[in-house]
Amino acid sequence: MAVIRMSMRYIRNEILVLPTRVIAVVFVLALLLMPLLTQDMYILRILAIASIFAIFAASWDLLSGFVGQVSFGHALFFGVAAYTTALLNLRLGWPPFVTIPIGALAAVLVGLLVGIPCLRLKGPYLGLATLAFPIMLMGIIFVFPGFFGGELGISGITRLASLRIHEYYIAVVLMLVLCYIMWKITDSKIGIIFHAIREDEIAVRASGINTIKFKLLAFCLSGLFAGIAGGLYTHFLRIAGPSMLAVLMSFQAIIWTIFGGIATIYGAVVGVFILFPTLEVLRAASEYRMLIFALIVLMVLRVMPEGITTFIRDKLERECPRCKVRNAFNRKECRVCYSEMR
Amino acid sequence: MLSDILVYGLMNGAVYAMLAVGFSLIFGAARIINLAHTAFFMLAAYAVFYFGTSMAFHPIIAIPLSIVIVTLIGVFVYYVFMEPIREHETAVLIITVAVALVFQELILIIFGGHYRGVSSIVSGYISPMGIRISYQYLLTIGVVSLSLVAVWLVLMKTRLGVAIRSSAQDREVANLMGMNVARIAAATMAISVGLAAIAGVMVAPLYTLEPHMWLDPLVLVLAIVILGGLGSIKGSFIGAMILAFIEVTVVFTMPGGSFLKVAIALAIMLVILVVRPEGLYGVYMEGER
Amino acid sequence: MKNQLLFIAVIVLALAMVFGAMGCAPVDQEEEVSPPPDEDVDEDVDEDEEVVEFDGEIKIAVTGPMTNIQGEMMWWGAEMAMNEINEDGGVTIGDETYSVRLIQVETDEIMDPLGAVSAVENVIISEDPHFLIGGFRTEAVMPYTDLVAQDYQKIFVICGAATNELLEGRIDEDYDTWKYLFRVTPIKSTDLVTVTILMLNEVAMAVREELGIEQPKVAILAEALEWNEALVQMAPQIFPTLGLEFVGTFRPSATASDVTTELRGIEASGAQIIYTIFSGPVGIPYGRQWGELEIPAASVGINVEAQKSGYYPATDGFGDYDYTLMTFAQNTEITPETIPFIEKFVDLYGQLPNYNADTYSAVYILTEAAERAGTLDTDAVIVEMEQTDRISAAGRFVFDENHDVTFGPGFVTALGVQWQDGELLGAGWPIEWQPDPENAPDLVVGHEGMVPYQLPPHVLEQWRE
Repeated sequence: MAVIRMSMRYIRNEILVLPTRVIAVVFVLALLLMPLLTQDMYILRILAIASIFAIFAASWDLLSGFVGQVSFGHALFFGVAAYTTALLNLRLGWPPFVTIPIGALAAVLVGLLVGIPCLRLKGPYLGLATLAFPIMLMGIIFVFPGFFGGELGISGITRLASLRIHEYYIAVVLMLVLCYIMWKITDSKIGIIFHAIREDEIAVRASGINTIKFKLLAFCLSGLFAGIAGGLYTHFLRIAGPSMLAVLMSFQAIIWTIFGGIATIYGAVVGVFILFPTLEVLRAASEYRMLIFALIVLMVLRVMPEGITTFIRDKLERECPRCKVRNAFNRKECRVCYSEMR
Repeated sequence: MLSDILVYGLMNGAVYAMLAVGFSLIFGAARIINLAHTAFFMLAAYAVFYFGTSMAFHPIIAIPLSIVIVTLIGVFVYYVFMEPIREHETAVLIITVAVALVFQELILIIFGGHYRGVSSIVSGYISPMGIRISYQYLLTIGVVSLSLVAVWLVLMKTRLGVAIRSSAQDREVANLMGMNVARIAAATMAISVGLAAIAGVMVAPLYTLEPHMWLDPLVLVLAIVILGGLGSIKGSFIGAMILAFIEVTVVFTMPGGSFLKVAIALAIMLVILVVRPEGLYGVYMEGER
Repeated sequence: MKNQLLFIAVIVLALAMVFGAMGCAPVDQEEEVSPPPDEDVDEDVDEDEEVVEFDGEIKIAVTGPMTNIQGEMMWWGAEMAMNEINEDGGVTIGDETYSVRLIQVETDEIMDPLGAVSAVENVIISEDPHFLIGGFRTEAVMPYTDLVAQDYQKIFVICGAATNELLEGRIDEDYDTWKYLFRVTPIKSTDLVTVTILMLNEVAMAVREELGIEQPKVAILAEALEWNEALVQMAPQIFPTLGLEFVGTFRPSATASDVTTELRGIEASGAQIIYTIFSGPVGIPYGRQWGELEIPAASVGINVEAQKSGYYPATDGFGDYDYTLMTFAQNTEITPETIPFIEKFVDLYGQLPNYNADTYSAVYILTEAAERAGTLDTDAVIVEMEQTDRISAAGRFVFDENHDVTFGPGFVTALGVQWQDGELLGAGWPIEWQPDPENAPDLVVGHEGMVPYQLPPHVLEQWRE
């Protein structure tokens, strides 16, 4: 009884007070309960892929949004993990729960390899230089078509799980857990240093912090999460193909994240869960599909340049002028210090 | 072979330079990474196809018309979509991608996914030393050189040029000195898109027109501008030449791997960047984040 | 109080948004249903003054990049077959007559190959088609054949991807899993290569005769893709057996927009023949630059772009005399079906059909198999599909043990086509082809109406000097 009362109180005091928290909780519950509403394989597929891409987009946000190391070549991590996973599974017959972590580790390694030469680069230079990496890797894939399958990619991979609904839960739960971890990282002490590096790297270095270490750590972490996404995607689609390394793949992560709201993690998730299903729905519009999609992105960003989550959050919540605690927009006084909200 | 590399490197380099200089200009003046830059190039190529081939206008009318229209579209896009949210750099970045996608899809809807060709202004070729160069390429090199010289003159000798250069060096101080930074940026956008449009109309008869033709040159342009140093006109020009020569050398020395020319050019670019993180002629932007 | 209400309203709204974004929306989404039959169909129905009542419909999904020419061709070919079948009273299955209905599936696979599989799954779930046809880009077709065969056990007839591995190594190794896959067009990539080698031989003979060069030099210009890898590796060994000298391989990207540098390299190598292998858009800048710069080497091989009506204008006429493999040609009577098919197609759609348009045959092969089976049950239809023996525009269709098109004399062979003064004509091969001169010297294959291969005039001129 006491437990129920405590949890009720928690829900009332910590969740129901803020509309955005309510939305987040509803979103999570809806995702987890979705299979009760519909068993439609197509919807489960779209949501599973959206979950995988949400991990990918959030990993970009971690590196670029928080640490400010804007990467235009994020598909590199995705692709490296995808190919590693696929090769291990196909050639050695290892199951997904072994290949995906190894694929992610390969992405971490690549994160280090890319991170080290890029340490000296700043701002746009870094972003545009990272664009080169997936293209170079794509070149290598076509140099050894016998091994990497060239334009065919590597197919004949075991599926993530035997049933779609299992695959769905693997993708969704992993997405929720990993995004929560990423969110916690950005909230931790490391996250504060990440923030600081973005804002003023020299000042951070002056405070005696080894920025090189933290920047490399960011590359590795981001590579790890993007790599998990790549491995999941490969096992879900049962193929690793060169288009996973294409420029558009990298751009997609950036579009989703900035659309949702950069440097928030949850913005990346929201961006993917809005834009990816939209693009699917728009298949009905046939040849106007991408046009409508591009126009939506264009208009939304024109009106809400900080991204959709930041925009809505600012509409739904206000910061208490005195204690800086967030309040629902309709409150007359702060929920913590009872000072008047203006 | 050496003369081959020289001639073909110059030919390719000229077109790349044209695109890269424009990209670099608008970055310098407004700090906008305009990923739609090569989409304007594509738009101009299609405009010249539409006016020259479909409407059968004479090239003397079709070409300037295309350049003017595309430039106007560029300025319009700048005023409507970029200027109001210029503070949000990431949003501007994605807006430029969205603009490029809109152009691509509009072209796909209007002209279809077919590959299109435009007639050369002058057909035929010359072959000095046995190297075949089409007249169109010669003409392109001529127009490119003229345009670049013109841009250089504008930047160095006019009030507008001084304004562009000063706002490239320090936007805030330029603003404090009473310059209308937004209008300078718009003028720079016009020059930048105009250069892309000129490249587009000249190259239309050389390349194949298709709705995705903006992506491959975009990668090259990005590589060139950071190799040369963002915001540096000289750097962009030299970067373009370096990448073009690398590409051509790859094709001549290892023909079986000529598809690797972009990858190898990018690898060399990275090596140079590791040695010189701000590119060949870039200004190290200490005060900026 | 008012604020409280507002608060609740906002939360309800937010909930609705979340649910909307989460995919309740796709539920009511429907794929574009096939457009109403063309005008001429309506006219015919009026003339027949007898409207056929159908008992049901056979749904066939056409999956392809519908905004691009490949998808358009697939759609047009299938649509033509659908209209013909429905006009002729539909398909009789058992005691019932069925009409054919096509469902267009925009896979957008050229831009986003891995997303294509979602579109295919969507149509399977929302429309439950009996059969699927189409598929263009191999990277997209691989996963969606996986899905169709493994998850949904539906028949998929490939009409556009030539890669051997789509069928080979699948049906022969695990028949029960993969028996749902068939290919109608084109012939598999290794057979394509065989044909181009025969065409190359034809060009080599012309070079010997007309230029007096005993051992012509050949340079390979092949896009850097996996499907031609084996050939590029083997070519230096194959060429000497044909009396040809191999001078080098150039491999631009399949999407390169400029190959002047490669052409200069070929010219410098002294080649008289360029052996091209292009499936990608690079074929157009190649044709244009080859013609405009008058590169002194005859061009032969596969250039998929050169198989289309749009090639001539796109190369500004400079692609003339390019010699490429194709499925059928308007002047060549491969079978009695060929010319009527092409003429009707050109009449309806204003363009020459390319190999993707043989979705036409695929629709017929499927409906005829269903008719013979007397049921739409997948397994029964597969058994009948395997018995297919059909004379089509491209030749005689018989499926081999891999469910692939049987290649060879008397079956489907493809042919050489050459642009001659702006017309795409069947030329050079097979006119007097002896597939097996030692064991069967009497077997000579040739098609009615083909014209001889012509060396490009600029090549003739420059080598005669």
